Amino acid sequence: MTAPAVELQHITKCFAKVVANKDVSLTVNNGEVVALLGENGAGKSTIMKILYGLYGLDEGKIFVRGEEVQIKTPADAMAKGIAMIQQHFSLVPTHTAAENIILGNVRGYIPIKNYEQKLKKIALEHGFDVPMDRPVGELAVGQQQKIEILKALYINTSILIMDEPTAVLTPQESESLMQFIKEFAAKGNSVVFITHKMKEVMEVADRIVVMRNGVVVAEKRRQETTEQELARLMIGQELTPAVRDASRDTTAGEGVLQFENVSLQPKKGTALLNDIDFTIHAGEIFGIAGVSGNGQDELCDIISGVRQPTSGRVLLAGKDISKESIRARNAFGIGYVPVDRYRDAMIKDMNLAENILLKGVFDKKWFNRGFIRHKKLNAYTNELIERHRVKANDYNDLAGSLSGGNQQKIVLGREVDIGSRLLVFNQPTRGLDMGAVDRIHHVIMEEKDNGKAVLLVSTELSEIFEMCDRIAVMHNGRFMGIYRNGELTTEQIGLLMAGIHFDGEEAAAL
Amino acid sequence: MVVNILTRAIMMSTPLLLGALAEVYAERTGMMVCAIEGIFLMGAWGGFVGTYLSGSMLLGIVLAVVLGGLMALLYAFVTVTLGQQQVVTGTALNILAVGICAYFQRVLFGVPTTPLQIDTLPKLAIPLLSKIPFVGEIFFHQNILTYLAYILIPVSIFVLYKTSLGLTLRSTGENPVAVDVAGINVNRVRFLTVLVAGGISGLAGAFYTVGYLGMFTSNVIGGRGWIAFAICFLGNWSPKGAVLGTLAFGLADAISVYFRIGTGAFPTELIIALPYILTILLTIFRSNFKVPAQLGIPYSKES
Repeated sequence: MTAPAVELQHITKCFAKVVANKDVSLTVNNGEVVALLGENGAGKSTIMKILYGLYGLDEGKIFVRGEEVQIKTPADAMAKGIAMIQQHFSLVPTHTAAENIILGNVRGYIPIKNYEQKLKKIALEHGFDVPMDRPVGELAVGQQQKIEILKALYINTSILIMDEPTAVLTPQESESLMQFIKEFAAKGNSVVFITHKMKEVMEVADRIVVMRNGVVVAEKRRQETTEQELARLMIGQELTPAVRDASRDTTAGEGVLQFENVSLQPKKGTALLNDIDFTIHAGEIFGIAGVSGNGQDELCDIISGVRQPTSGRVLLAGKDISKESIRARNAFGIGYVPVDRYRDAMIKDMNLAENILLKGVFDKKWFNRGFIRHKKLNAYTNELIERHRVKANDYNDLAGSLSGGNQQKIVLGREVDIGSRLLVFNQPTRGLDMGAVDRIHHVIMEEKDNGKAVLLVSTELSEIFEMCDRIAVMHNGRFMGIYRNGELTTEQIGLLMAGIHFDGEEAAAL
Repeated sequence: MVVNILTRAIMMSTPLLLGALAEVYAERTGMMVCAIEGIFLMGAWGGFVGTYLSGSMLLGIVLAVVLGGLMALLYAFVTVTLGQQQVVTGTALNILAVGICAYFQRVLFGVPTTPLQIDTLPKLAIPLLSKIPFVGEIFFHQNILTYLAYILIPVSIFVLYKTSLGLTLRSTGENPVAVDVAGINVNRVRFLTVLVAGGISGLAGAFYTVGYLGMFTSNVIGGRGWIAFAICFLGNWSPKGAVLGTLAFGLADAISVYFRIGTGAFPTELIIALPYILTILLTIFRSNFKVPAQLGIPYSKES
């Protein structure tokens, strides 16, 4: 029996105070595809970055093809035939594909045309058609990933590590990537791919290693397991999805938010919002489905007051707020979780209490003659951390030190308390792991049951169907119609999202 | 008169070009050398002191390069190794350089009644080329440092765009992660590039004392380090742009010197201010900058 391609033994790694990997052992055999499955922050990327020499290890041993090795830098790893494709591609956007591929693997004079031809040949051998002489920043994400793969192939990699390779790909691109992985492994090479997507795991992995909180919790052959079992292992508990009571007529409650023929017409070009008209009632979740970039962000901005409509009125509990400032709207009780929390909802380098205060600087309860009431603020922050099960030590943690899901829970907690009447969520679960998604769904459902009006913008149909009482489908700044949840099939909603009205019974606009 | 001014313009361009090229190298790796004004000054002083004390211009120039390199070493240690703010560090070092030069000048020479003089680098006429009318006079009756600057132009272009070293430098300023992942030590690249840039800038500083004035005063550089710094920006971080920029500033510098010596018909203050006004105007009207994406941002792995 030949030695396994890679064997990691009892690896431990700490960052400052946090243990990222604890006593992790795992084996990758020749010709095998191993999926490293786990939630965000489970330590999957860390263990692989150690193998690739990007991080040093505190304890443990690494064996490559049966030989103990010291991997201190990526150069050491590459010399052993190991390559890693980072989650956020490590390409130089202003340089050409050829320049990116040969970086670090050439000496002296570079006859670039020769390299371009040579690389073109290697690319075609693997069925990749990428232009070698254009800046990679101009290429589509799928093409950029192929360049990353070519970087690995160029140095004759036999052990390929891919960190969340499908996170940014279209379904078709993912499909061709999976095909590549299968073919690459069939030639006797090994592939480790890090993911939290169950579907891919079941499609290509020979063996699945599940990690949670920095340790390996299970190892399964694909044939021996199911998606449900893997999900449970990954999260460490059974998830109970939030359940919607479909029997209640949610339009009976009083109208909280009302859009009257709202349009947003920029000076040049087509309208971003076109004659939007709807009402959200107390105790109702109103969903907006659609491909992102069809006016959802603008609609949310108009509610929060970041943008002004060019015509039409926005009413909150019957009162026209179209001309009110953002500050006044906050005081009315509008909570807003924007789509890009890093840009619009938090400051990474400030602690959690300060992030809570961000939206409360005009709220007298946090101030005593202009001085911040730190005790009260810190106690409240700690209470939020507990209430929403945020993984953080206390109020003094930097927001940037938390995982994405936990950051979102903090933002959500803050907005839910500010929004006493209306909550606006713009893709609140985008890019988050299953545990965080579950928690956020539960919170949204609770707030609805408390009688708040909720607007939920989502590009995930499963989320729309699971959460919403009524659904508007948005295309090109227009509502394609408003429907009760249950009236639409997935296909029909897909057509509406593409801007096509389907024949047959036209649901009454409510 | 035109030939005179142009000859002078080429001469005045020399140190600016050396400094700007040094800055281009460093900034392509993401390192602004904000200490360049101070490094120029150290180079100027080193060139003067070395030449005065040893009687050898070569030793003076060597001392200038060494002192420039030492300033760069300190700068690189603080900004690369310790990962501190580049602008703050550079400003501190610029102030430090003024202090060091003034202090040691006083310690070594007291307060002389007449300024101490050194010989300056001789003009070398290049055989044949210097005989070309007009052009020969302007370009090929210069000192050795100017010829060195001529050579550095094609060498810089070749190294930066046609070699693996250049690819590494350019990649480091755009995306250090890509460089790290490719198995190259990012901070070593930055550290060494800053050192080399410091040496070249020290040489540039020496030009003002050894190559031109023949004496040292504490305001001998008078902001020209900053102009080299600005030329790097204006030239869009390319050697060709640096050449064009230095020619413009060299010309302004030459005109201002010429008119200062000549008639009083023109307000001299305005002419002295010309290079600085030009810097501001060009910065305002230059629209598309291709700033290296990671310029000024320290790189650390485990964060």
